Amino acid sequence: MTAQEVRLCGLLLHEHFGEVVEKVGTHLLRSGAQNLRTIIHETGLSVDLVKKSLMVLVQHGACLFSSGRKGPGSPTEYRSGCDRILRILRYPRYIYTAKTLYGDTGELVVEELLQRGHMTMSGTVKTVADRLTQNMEEGRSMDYSEVSSAFSKLVETHFLQRCPKLAGAGTADSTTSAIPPTPESFPDCYKVPHMTLVGRGKRQLAAEDGEDQRNAKRQKMDSEVDEGIYWQVNFERFHLHFRDQAIISAVANKLDQTSSEIVRTMLRMSEVTTSPAATCTKPLSANEIFRSLPASYNIPRPILDQYLTLLVDDPMEFVGKAGESGGGMYVVNLHRALANLARATLESVVQERFGSRSARIFRLLLRKRHLEQKQVEDFAMIPAKEAKDMLYTLLSQNLVQLQEIPKTPDYAPSRTFYLYTVNQLPTARMLLQNCYKTVANLIERRLFESKESKRLLEKSQRIEAILASLQASGAEPEQLTEVEEMITAPEKQQLDALKLHINKLDSAENQVDETIFLLESYVNSTATSTV
Amino acid sequence: MAARGRSRRTLSFSVDSVGINRGESLPPTLQQPTPVFPVMEQKPLPLTGGEEAEYLLALKQDFRGAMRSLPCFIQPAAALRDVERYSDKYHSSEHTDGLMDWTPDWQRFPRELRIHARKPARDGVSVARSDAQSAQKKKKKKVREKEEVLIKLETLQKKEEQQSEEDDDDDNTEQKKKQEDDDADGDEEYDEEEFEEVILYVTCDGSNQSVWTGSGLTEGSVLQETDYIMSYFDNGEDFGGDSDDNMDEAIY
Repeated sequence: MTAQEVRLCGLLLHEHFGEVVEKVGTHLLRSGAQNLRTIIHETGLSVDLVKKSLMVLVQHGACLFSSGRKGPGSPTEYRSGCDRILRILRYPRYIYTAKTLYGDTGELVVEELLQRGHMTMSGTVKTVADRLTQNMEEGRSMDYSEVSSAFSKLVETHFLQRCPKLAGAGTADSTTSAIPPTPESFPDCYKVPHMTLVGRGKRQLAAEDGEDQRNAKRQKMDSEVDEGIYWQVNFERFHLHFRDQAIISAVANKLDQTSSEIVRTMLRMSEVTTSPAATCTKPLSANEIFRSLPASYNIPRPILDQYLTLLVDDPMEFVGKAGESGGGMYVVNLHRALANLARATLESVVQERFGSRSARIFRLLLRKRHLEQKQVEDFAMIPAKEAKDMLYTLLSQNLVQLQEIPKTPDYAPSRTFYLYTVNQLPTARMLLQNCYKTVANLIERRLFESKESKRLLEKSQRIEAILASLQASGAEPEQLTEVEEMITAPEKQQLDALKLHINKLDSAENQVDETIFLLESYVNSTATSTV
Repeated sequence: MAARGRSRRTLSFSVDSVGINRGESLPPTLQQPTPVFPVMEQKPLPLTGGEEAEYLLALKQDFRGAMRSLPCFIQPAAALRDVERYSDKYHSSEHTDGLMDWTPDWQRFPRELRIHARKPARDGVSVARSDAQSAQKKKKKKVREKEEVLIKLETLQKKEEQQSEEDDDDDNTEQKKKQEDDDADGDEEYDEEEFEEVILYVTCDGSNQSVWTGSGLTEGSVLQETDYIMSYFDNGEDFGGDSDDNMDEAIY
């Protein structure tokens, strides 16, 4: 829980849940596990507000509660983690992935679940069907069965999972286990309950308020078959998908389209057999790969073998050879691929900030590990003075470290080797924190820009509302133009510039999040691997 | 660094191995913190545009907007201004309606987080004025509505009867209004708004009439239990803040 992470989490909570939840959330992040009374006392908010915020946080999985440390009788403790809150940055990417894989229905299902935290299947299906019906033409409505099938497909491919049953929720003193159960520890984590939802989406018509209320009441009366079974989005599965995509696009950029198709096939075949923390996929024989290639790629067998050899020989080491049986056993080296992608990210960061010659020095140090000042100048083919300058700039930015190797036990400076080195993992961690800081700065700047032009934004919103209501009630064009002219031309320019800035800042947040994902995956992979 | 060696120009480490040759000057020492927005030698790359990036941007902004309207977006009560205004009484509970939409599954939350639901005044059940009171009252969550309303009606009628007995001499309407104010101040159990409702719709002679909540009123007045729409309570403080920038027209 670094300071930058806490700051970013605070900003995200503020934007999505309001400032009360932000206060409670940041307090929990900074202070660790606390019970309700302490939180109320230290944040200074009213009891009701704190309770509501905690409920919102628990609902969205940002906060976990467990019985107190002092034994069964002590009050429940709440703890929060940065990771879950930082996922909020990635929500658009999750929704977009669901759209590419399962269409609009899948997209709306994932969006509803992200907005609400946990939901039952029936609730989700109904809401999504209603939303889809809103956007369809008059007279057509979305059937529940289509939405249910999209939901089931998402569950089958593990993108959605059941929320773990919280045993200690009803009474505060029953469970004694300190570690909250993970969703994976339940056997029917991915089992869709047997129920047939019959119905169609309801269109919300303005004139039928009374009917809608009556319908809503009737729906509540119907017994819910899947009471208590809540679903949530499985972020880890989405991350695996993103990781695969990153590897495939890296291969496509480095080699060519066909090689990337081969790697895509290999990854697809090993989706279900590979555990999330595996170093590499299970070995696949060349025969299997040949059979599973998509039909549109008519690659003859010898060409496939050549491609595989090329992939194995590539210095990026995405694909490795694990044996000779079955025409050659090949694996995709996941952790090594992640490390290489992270390394490429670091190199490009240095290149964009300090220039290509500094990047050359950086790459040199990454490859050769430890080099003296003189050797750096020689290998990089850069004049001594400039090389010295660049090295010191990199050193002051902490991208390069100095390693002392003494010749004598008393570390005398004249008799010590000073070697420059780059450690990839600590540098990656440092850049990750820089990314968090960057996103927090972007969000703050965006809030600042909106606040500066708050009056203008409100005015434009009011005028839009007036225009919309006029159009709905069928007004003449003169009235519309008259209303539109209430915004003067310089104000319109200001509004356009503001919109442009805000869009740029938002878009930048999305892109920094891609870098965050890569670096986070790399750091997490080194934590779990035994290498 | 240079002061250790008794004002001789020797440094603590050997200069050769780190590459500083004799005769070259060291860069100037920093006297103050680095500037907040330093000039960048290399300009950053432009953002990647494209359809995907725009779609992601639209998704992000839509998601943010949608979250603001959901019940999980909690607004604190508006901060009190320097002087208490009469209209505060009617503005304070405007934003709390969204919270009623979310009925959580209490099995999944610890019992201590349970807030006893406050029902809106429309149902005739009294709304607690402060949090401490609501916590103390411990009303049951499941309310059988008809019986509750009937009991409420009876108690309210009894109260009126007591009142009208006391006010036999005076003019009924005026005294009732005064009594309402006095009672509202002194009585903690019944909400002011509820009392107004009773007074407005019950006939003057205090006979047993059923309480009638008029359904033909506009939204604003029914929500706040007044006869006036909410813009009645605008106290004019927002006036004049709008067109300050456009100096073509004089402000009178």
